[in-house]
Amino acid sequence: MNNNVYLPQIAVIKDIKEETGDIKTFTLAFKDRKFKNSFSFRPGQFMMVSVFQAGEVPISISSSPSQPENLQLSIKKAGALTGKIHGHKVGDEIGLRGPYGRSFPVERLIGKNLLFVAGGIGLAPLRSLINYVLNNRTEFGQITILHGARTPSDIPFKHELSRWPKERDVKVLVTVDRPDTGWKGNIGPATALWDKTGISSRDTIAVICGPPVMISFVVMDLLKMGFSEDDIISTLERHMKCGVGKCGHCSIGHQLTCVDGPVFTYREMKELPTDL
Amino acid sequence: MRRAPGKGDLMTDKLILYKEHLNSFLRKITKGFELIAPVRNTYGDTLFEVIPSVDDVGIDLTNRPILSPKRFFMPQVETLFAYRYDKSGYTFKDTADNTPRVIFGLRSCDTRGILFYDLIFQEGLKDKYYLDRRRDTILINLGCNQPGENCFCKSAQSGPFLTYGYDIQLTDLGDRFFVEIGRPRGRELLAGWSYFFRPATQADIDAQYEAVLESEGRFRHRLDFDAAIEKLINQKVDPAIWEELGRRCQNCGGCAYVCPTCYCFNMFDSPCSEKEGERLRTWDACTFAGFSRLAGGYNPRQDKAQRIKRRFYHKLFYDKQKYNIPSCVGCGRCADICFGRIDMLSFIRLICEQKEKSPAPAHRRLGELLLEAGIISQKDLDSAIEKQAATGKPLGVQLVEMGVVDKEAIAGALGCQLKIPGTAKNVED
Repeated sequence: MNNNVYLPQIAVIKDIKEETGDIKTFTLAFKDRKFKNSFSFRPGQFMMVSVFQAGEVPISISSSPSQPENLQLSIKKAGALTGKIHGHKVGDEIGLRGPYGRSFPVERLIGKNLLFVAGGIGLAPLRSLINYVLNNRTEFGQITILHGARTPSDIPFKHELSRWPKERDVKVLVTVDRPDTGWKGNIGPATALWDKTGISSRDTIAVICGPPVMISFVVMDLLKMGFSEDDIISTLERHMKCGVGKCGHCSIGHQLTCVDGPVFTYREMKELPTDL
Repeated sequence: MRRAPGKGDLMTDKLILYKEHLNSFLRKITKGFELIAPVRNTYGDTLFEVIPSVDDVGIDLTNRPILSPKRFFMPQVETLFAYRYDKSGYTFKDTADNTPRVIFGLRSCDTRGILFYDLIFQEGLKDKYYLDRRRDTILINLGCNQPGENCFCKSAQSGPFLTYGYDIQLTDLGDRFFVEIGRPRGRELLAGWSYFFRPATQADIDAQYEAVLESEGRFRHRLDFDAAIEKLINQKVDPAIWEELGRRCQNCGGCAYVCPTCYCFNMFDSPCSEKEGERLRTWDACTFAGFSRLAGGYNPRQDKAQRIKRRFYHKLFYDKQKYNIPSCVGCGRCADICFGRIDMLSFIRLICEQKEKSPAPAHRRLGELLLEAGIISQKDLDSAIEKQAATGKPLGVQLVEMGVVDKEAIAGALGCQLKIPGTAKNVED
């Protein structure tokens, strides 16, 4: 093993699933057997992904920690590096460092009803938590999943979105901003679906992930419904270079998204000076 | 003639090195270490440079170097590792820097900057590149007898002399250096060549103390960090100030590059061929437009004004909140380099709108002098004044009786108060 936090582990792409036109899920296996066997993570943590010659970016883990050997990263094409990895094939190698960051507070969720609200690729880190929760179904109460996408073809993890409602006490609602001709589902923002969910703030913890605008509208409504600030949990996205609390890029106030986050409760988030 | 230097163990942590022995001592250092010292170049700039041979360069101990020596701990451009792709996949070649170094002539601000780096790179997951160099580098600090034009380390409580953090600290006493040993490896270094040193006498110790007091009286700038931090915490800075500073900033990053505590860095890949490349790390600056920009274009700190605001909040408030100490060491280098006057010196003055205290008025109170020299705390002073009201004793006597200062310190301060040079001994009667 090396003592150098900046040196990545090599991982081989075992499978690539095209989720949408610009999101792919990569299933990865570490080349180093020893590292592979000792690797574990918690939902909400991220990996620093190296695509050599292009650099490194932070990507949330989208698979369940119940199967650490099937590490999955769901990557949206957004820049040069993510564009390059979209051109990768099964058998290609990438570099991985991590897992890094503060995870979702899984222990606090035990015995609670859970509300998941995701926008777009924000479903990726929630998928890790949702599948973990479903793997340990008896420990949690009712589960409600809201997902909003731009268009029907932008909905990732379609297979799971249709599998999850078949589990006990799981409700899934999907909505799109702009429907296409065949779309028979919900239209509009996720916040228009509250009535259909029938959720209440009692014994419920909400976990939200998505674009900043969506997060703020969802939080506003949840507070009105009586959710406490500690029971609203979300994640922040910031530019990152090192992932280990040194490079300074992901700072918000005196906190660093990479080590103090990316998961924060709304009470913590409220205290952060988001432009400073 | 000087007393002939003899070989042997160092008997004490306070020594004397005569200036005529300095080069011989440095020459010995170059035998086992890469020596780094301030050198004045042909353009008249003093910079920390590697000294291959002591006799071929002019080491400049007069001018404060225009850059801190931080590049010897985190180079401006550094290869973290090289990667190579072949049939069997990717392989790495990790770089390692195990060169033993001695940095000679660091100023107190520089050493304090390195102590701040320690906090960042040791915290949590450790940064091997920094810590390896730090482990293999001995710091010889040179206290400042003559603060520079823009220096305000005294206000930043990081100089002009250090009480900890150095391996060795020198004080210029004219014909000789007063040498203090800080950390054990400083002692180890000197012990190898103990014949250059003699134990300091009481007169040397007094002379060093006077040099410290004298230097402290020479600062042109006295900044109230606490008042500035208060203003930031309470959001008392007029938003128009941020806008104005934003307009004046040219995004050059100079402030961050010259700052001994600025550590932010960038990491990226530099291809060498189709199948080979290096992962590099370079200095970065929070005032650059793309510093916080995400893939997709969202930038939480889009405006220059926001970035400037972030910079000052970070250095003065957030680092104090996190590490209990602001990350400004008062070296004044940002004030030297910024033509927009968006430097720490101008900024603190601006927000405090302070009437600067004139340097050392003719007659100053003993308590004030001791307080300023950091010998006693405000609490000590308050409690001494309170007790004094009951006992009627002079303040100096009261402080000594309380055990917060010794007679020497009082003597030094009295000497300064009475403007009598070299009175450290005879005032105590």
